[in-house]
Formats: sequence, structure tokens, C-alpha cells
Amino acid sequence: MEKLKQKQMEKTLACNHSRRRFLQGLLATGVLATMPSGLLQPLLVEAKDLLNEAEYQIFRNACPRNCYDTCSIKSFVKDGVLQYVEGATESSFTAGGLCVKGNSYARQLYSPDRIKYPMKQIGRGSGNWKRISWDEALETISSKILEIKAKDDNLLGLGLTKYSGNFGITHYGVEGMMSSLGYTTRFVGTPCWPAGIDAQNYDTGSMWCNDPEDMVHSKYIIVWGANPAFCSVHTMKYIYEARERGAKVVVIDPLLTQTAAKADLYLQVAAGEDGALALGMARHLVDKQLVDREFVTRYALGYAEFEAYLKKNITVTWAAEKTGIPAAEIRQLAEEFARADPATIWIGYGMQRHVNGGANVRAIDALVAMTGNIGKTGGGARYGHLQTWGFNYHAMIQDKPAGSKGWLGKGGPMGEFHGASGDQQAKYRDRTVNINKIAQEILDTNDPPVRMLWVACKNVLSQDFDTNKIKRAFEKLELIVAVDLFFNPTVEQADIVLPTVTPFEDWTVNVSYWHYWLSLNEQAVKPLYETKTDIDIAAALSKKMNAKQPGSCTFPQEIDSKQWMEKEFNQGIYDLFGIDSWQQLRQGPVKAKLKSASFPDRKFLTPSTKYEFRSELAAANGHAALPEYKAGRKAYGPLRLLTPHSKFSLHSQFQNLDWMHDFNNEPFVYLHPQTAKSRGIKEGQLVRVFNKIGELSMKAKLTDNVPTDALLMYESWFGRKNNFNVNTLVDDESSDMGAFKTGAPGVAIHDQFADIAKA
Amino acid sequence: MNDTQELQQLEALRDFFIARNEVQLAAAYAALNMAVSFDLPSVNDWEALEFSFNRLFIGPMAPFAPFFASVYLEPEPQVMGKSTLITRQIFEMLGLQSPWQESLPDDHLSLELDACIRLLTIRQAHSSPEVEDLWNYFLQEHLAQWLPSWFKRVRAAENLPAAILITIDVLAAWLAEKIDSLKSTDRRLAHNE
Repeated sequence: MEKLKQKQMEKTLACNHSRRRFLQGLLATGVLATMPSGLLQPLLVEAKDLLNEAEYQIFRNACPRNCYDTCSIKSFVKDGVLQYVEGATESSFTAGGLCVKGNSYARQLYSPDRIKYPMKQIGRGSGNWKRISWDEALETISSKILEIKAKDDNLLGLGLTKYSGNFGITHYGVEGMMSSLGYTTRFVGTPCWPAGIDAQNYDTGSMWCNDPEDMVHSKYIIVWGANPAFCSVHTMKYIYEARERGAKVVVIDPLLTQTAAKADLYLQVAAGEDGALALGMARHLVDKQLVDREFVTRYALGYAEFEAYLKKNITVTWAAEKTGIPAAEIRQLAEEFARADPATIWIGYGMQRHVNGGANVRAIDALVAMTGNIGKTGGGARYGHLQTWGFNYHAMIQDKPAGSKGWLGKGGPMGEFHGASGDQQAKYRDRTVNINKIAQEILDTNDPPVRMLWVACKNVLSQDFDTNKIKRAFEKLELIVAVDLFFNPTVEQADIVLPTVTPFEDWTVNVSYWHYWLSLNEQAVKPLYETKTDIDIAAALSKKMNAKQPGSCTFPQEIDSKQWMEKEFNQGIYDLFGIDSWQQLRQGPVKAKLKSASFPDRKFLTPSTKYEFRSELAAANGHAALPEYKAGRKAYGPLRLLTPHSKFSLHSQFQNLDWMHDFNNEPFVYLHPQTAKSRGIKEGQLVRVFNKIGELSMKAKLTDNVPTDALLMYESWFGRKNNFNVNTLVDDESSDMGAFKTGAPGVAIHDQFADIAKA
Repeated sequence: MNDTQELQQLEALRDFFIARNEVQLAAAYAALNMAVSFDLPSVNDWEALEFSFNRLFIGPMAPFAPFFASVYLEPEPQVMGKSTLITRQIFEMLGLQSPWQESLPDDHLSLELDACIRLLTIRQAHSSPEVEDLWNYFLQEHLAQWLPSWFKRVRAAENLPAAILITIDVLAAWLAEKIDSLKSTDRRLAHNE
């Protein structure tokens, strides 16, 4: 087209008045009245105003992923289209910046790869999919649920596995949907942090970290088994600020992480021997009389026994042998830590993903406690907190249909966030099984077996352990329903996939398990295609269930997701955050009115109300009463396999996006040059990594960031022709703790072993 | 090809690419067969064709060749891009809007083919320089900018069913013919000037 005319047309298109003038001209000819009907509909008058030259509309959103930072987001929308996102400046934690993942959100919302419609697969894993209506999808699902009920006389054959794909509070409506159908089988627990949760609960009666923003007041910071440079970029600024103010920053990790690279001191601890290091330090503090006597006598229980244990069983030399860190360095570290005031330890989730993970956390807690650093601004044994999670869980709490039958055994579903543990008075309960052993539980559970599995906020075949065993277990299932955004390995094996929304198409509310901020998540754009939120799916299923069998589902059949967001608020939340109504959150996130130090009055939530070096509760639950040394898992292969988080993804989330692919388009195994040399492996060479449960192939990268006895690989991928998944090599061995507070033990993710060879 | 045939072809193509299932695919394909002057390859297994159609265009896996213009026109492939908005503006100038506004990107191939049908009808009934300019713009600066990339991508698919290939060929031939006719009009006008 002629350039001048093209430019004129572009001007016309961009201008409301010009477009209208054109249309008026057409209307005057009468030609529009004779147009054939088709897909496009006559323009509604009000619709014309949709395309104006107005300024951006700004919406409030929150990143709902399983991440320390839970960023407050500002979303800029024009013409009903999200143009870009920014970190909210109102939150001093988010402070106007997002991470590489958060900045890519528009690429997720508008990715052509999204799942757009309900679909059913003809032959599981065949790749032969039919597009179906929501009505047909719900017809199939509801028929199956009723069939299970008729066959088994209960609904325990319906299983739910759901975790942290979306931590928006209304998403607990998935659990609510299950409750509203009857007593079901729940995969409970968490693959993330349960051993540490239990450990901190034995020690302090809770899990409550200081406000991370108060780390600026620390004089000594040990980041132990965490990699915030990848996994909590917003906390790094407080660490840097503390250092500007004179603090020393130490990183303890088996890997020389990006955080370690920025530290004043990096100590490479043998994986899983964190407890030995903490206890060695503790013994040295005893010897040097650097124990805070006031704390251990006034605010603690069982310190004398702990000290006796140290004197009898622990030496610095022993700790040096166990950890690989020279005794002199252990002594110096202990002394520096004890003499700094305040000093803090950030206990990462990585170091509790071991068979002795809970014991390791207890040992570190003890070290922080005996130096009097608990209850202090700038101090603390920082792990996580649930202080701000006191919502109504309105979407989650649903009645069972009248006459429902269920499990007669003990227990009931638990969750670390919502705190619900089922109605202990009821005759029947949901049947709970370990989320971290999904394959084994499906294989072993009978009378009745799990016949149908509902997967939400979770990617089982990437996140869960022993991928090959999961595939075998799935063969036992009669129907798999996956609710997801993208075609991941779990959807690949589903019978029905239901398309769900991104945070920008959803109403919900979010808080963090690390910082103290509260963020509203507004629906910034309409849900694309035929996607639905989790609670809209629950309502639609309820309508279908009740049409087929009145009374078979108690979930409300018509809901407004904005109203349901509102229903999550209560006076306690308003008081904690100092607001009168949720609408105030439209102006930006707000921070809880809490002191920056946890346990500021040094009153603990333990049975004794003291810090418990000796925990009878721990003993009653089968652990040592004291924070004693517990040995790690016996190696079952020549090299330890470490599979931490990448900075480009949250497990498999985000990894499929084009922006991530641009920077990180291929998985590698990282190994020490010596380890490579002994096996004749060269940089960039294709290798096999294998162990007793599986094998993967990828290229090798040589780096002395990794110890000589270990291999490093980053989690999982999907899409873009790559379903690489480290959990092919990670078995479902349990960690020592987790069952007490989350219903199931964690997983020894970093107690895995493998060998490597040229492909 | 006369005007009626042309519209019938476009309607059939439009319906084919927005079909939800094998029944709708088969109906649109039959209509296309009526509208073209040769026999389309027969389809023995419509269910298999539906599976292929979904792998190419719908999902749930990342579709091999999504049929949204902005996937090909934006510097980085996405839906709801700037070019989507331009399509919406063109619809508006014709007094039209998508019934799925904001839930289905406006630059879905079938919506664009529907707009072509309306524009061609308008041109037949009451043409004007303004209408011609809009048609030329939509054809040359929009459709001709993305459809060839899309054709190329579809044709590169493994095991591409003959029935899908022929629909692409019919659409490509129509586009080429329209572009040629515009160019010859431009040449004529230039010559006259």
C-alpha cells in the first residue's frame, strides 16, 4: 500500500473520532443493514468507548507463587489489555521491583501456549485431544463422582492433590470443593518446608520469623542453606544494607551459590551435616563461656541437659571432620556470631530437605537461642511465619452433603497455612495420605482405591518424586482431571484438562510466609478464552452435581469471585494491618502492625511457654527430646545429587515462557572439574546421570562452585520440546519431621545420589 | 471465481478455523468443497483430523501454529498485541465487534475472515475511496503481513493432514489473488496518473 495512504489509515484507526466518522459514513449509505450475519456482532454503543485514548488503568495484583517474596504488583491496563507490570512502590519490601519471573507475567498471560478450553484426551498420553464444552467436561466428571459413590458407598475414591501453584486465599476453594462433595482422599503435607516447621514448633511452639526488613539491624548474618540471590531477591537489599552498616555476611552451603559469591565469608559444608556444624559451634560457645546465661536460664527449658549433651558427645574436631570445615574456622565463626549483637541466622529450606533436616534445624535454632538472639530486632532464627494468614478460609470451609460417609480412621486433612485439621468430633473423616509419596500412596491405597484424581495448583509429574513410579501409579487411576495454565507433564497424562486463570484474571488476596505485607489481587483483565478460577470451577461442578443428584454437593452454585475475595477478610485481619476495609488495599499493600522481632517478650508457644531445648513433644513424636546430632542418609551412589531452585523458575512454573527460554534454554548438570576429569568428561559434553530409579541425559558444565562429591542440576522444565525433570532421579525418601504440623513428613530432596558418565 | 463463490469460500474457511469439533470441521469442509472448483481430498477419519487440528491450532499442548495475527506480527509472539487492537479498530469502523471481546483475541483468523466477508459485501454494494482504502489496508498491511508466516508454519508441521493443507492452499490462493488484483489496480492508477 502506498506509504502516505497507509499512514493516513493508521491515523484514522488510532483516532476515535475518525473511526466514528468513517462508520457514520457507512451507516448513511444503508449498506450495513444488508450485511450478512456472521461471527462479528453489531457494535454496541458503549463498546465504542472501550477503545479510547484514556490513560492506563492501574490494578493491584500480587504474585501468588510459592516464593518468599510474594511481590505486590501494579498492573497497567489499556483497552482491556495488560500492557506491563511493575513492583508496587508502596511496599517497602517489593520496593518497586520484580524478579525475572515477575517481570515476565505479561508473557504468561498472553502466551499463545496457554490452555484455552476444557479438553479431553482420547487415550491417556496419546496426545489426541478433543475440545469439549464446560458442560461436557463437568458431565463426565460428575458422572464419575456419582459412579464412585454408588460403587463404594463413599467418595474416598476421589483424591485431591493440590499445593502451592497459586497461594491466593480463595484458591483454598479447591479443598472446599472436595469437602462439599463428601469425604475424600487428601494428599496432605508439603514437599517444601515441613521438617523445619516441626523443628521450630518443638523449639518455640510456633514458626515465626522476624520481619526480614529488620535484618538491616543485624551485626552478623548467616545465610544457611538459602540462596536469596535466586529465591528472594528482595531480601538481598536488607543484607546489603546491614553490611553497609558494618555487619558481616556469612553463607553456609554445600554449593557456592550466587548469594555465597556476594558474602564476606563462604563456608562449604558437607551436605546434610549442618547439624554437626551448629552443634560444634555450640560446643565451642560452651567452652568459651559465650552462652547468654540470662536467656538460657530465664526463657528456656532444658538448656543444662543440652549443654551436658554437648560436653559429652560433641567436639569441634568432630564437627570439622563431619562438615569438612576446618576446626579453626568453626571456632572463629562461633565466636564472631556470639559476640555480635544482634546476630541472626536465616535457615533456608534447602538444609532441611534431608533425612535429618528437622534435627539440623533444631540444632541451628539452639545456636541462635543460646546466644540470646531470639526475640531481638535484627536477631532471630529466621525460617518463615504464618502470623498474617488469619483469613476466614471461607472458600475452603464447606459442609459435607447430608449422609456422607468417609474414613473411620484417625486424622483429617491438615495444612500449614490454613491450620484446619478437620472436625475432630465428626464420625467420619477424609482419608489422608502423604502428598510426597503420591505414587506409592496411589499404588498402596485400597478399600477403596483412589479411582479419580483432581490436580490443582500443582504439577505432579514435575514436582513430585520418582517420576517413573508416578507414571506407573497413574495407570491405576480411572480418571485424572488437571486444572492448569499450561500443558505440563501432568496435563500430558490427564484425561480431562480444565483451563484456569493467571493472577491478572482473578480476584483474591495474598500474604507472605516471610515478609509482613498484605496485597490485594484484583481482576485486571477478563479471563481469556474459556478459563475459570478454581472457585468458579467448584461452583459450576456443584451446579452439575445437583442437577444430576440434588443435594450431592454443597458448594454454592452461583458465586461472584470478587465477593468471595471479600469474604476472606475479617476484623482480625483489618486490625492486624490497621485498615478499615479491603478497599483500602486498592491504594496499595499494607504491612502488619507487628513488632519486627518475633517472640518480642520471649514468651513462647511451647507447653512450657519457654524456648524448649528439651522438647517432650518432640520425644513423644519419636524424635530426640534434645537437639541432638542425627546422621544423614547413607549414600546409595558415588555422588550426591543436589537439585535446588533456578532463578528462572518456581520449580516448573515460568520455565516454559519464551523470555526464560531466551536466557536459559537448556538444562545442564554442573560438576567439579576433578570429578569430570576422573570420568573423562569435558565441558559441554553430553552425559548420562543415573541412579537406582532413573536416568537423564544433558550436557555437562564444569565448575568448582560444586563440591567434588556432588552433582548439581536445576529442577524441572516443560514445553519447548524439553521435559527435563530432576525428580526422575529423586526418590520419595522422607525427611525426619513434618508430620506433626503438616500431616506428613517432608522429602529428603537433597539426600539423593547418582553417578555420571559420558553418554 | 465469482463474488458469490468467493464469499462462500471465505465463509467455509472461517467456519473451518473456528470449528470446535469434528462435526463442525466436516460441515465447514463440505461447504468449502462446494465453493471451490475442484474436489478437495476426502477425509476418512474425522476424529483423527480433529486431533491434528487441535495439535496445530488449539491445544492443550502449545499449538504448533496458533491462528492469532499478533503471534506473527509482534516482535515477540503473543496474543492481545498491538496488532490485535488494530483489528478491533477495523471491526469498529465497520460497526462490528467480536462477541468474545477481551476473552478471545480479536485477531483470530476466523474473525478476520468474517471481517473480510463484510468488507467484500460492502465493496460490492457501495464502494467508496474510503472503503477501498480500508480494504487495501486490512489486506496488505495486516492479512498479507501475517498469513504467509502462518501458512509457512502450518506447512512445516509433521504429518500435516491433506485436508488441512488444502484449506491453507485455498486461503493462500485467495490472498495471492487479492494482492495481485490490488497491485494491478495500483499499476493501472499509476499509469493513468
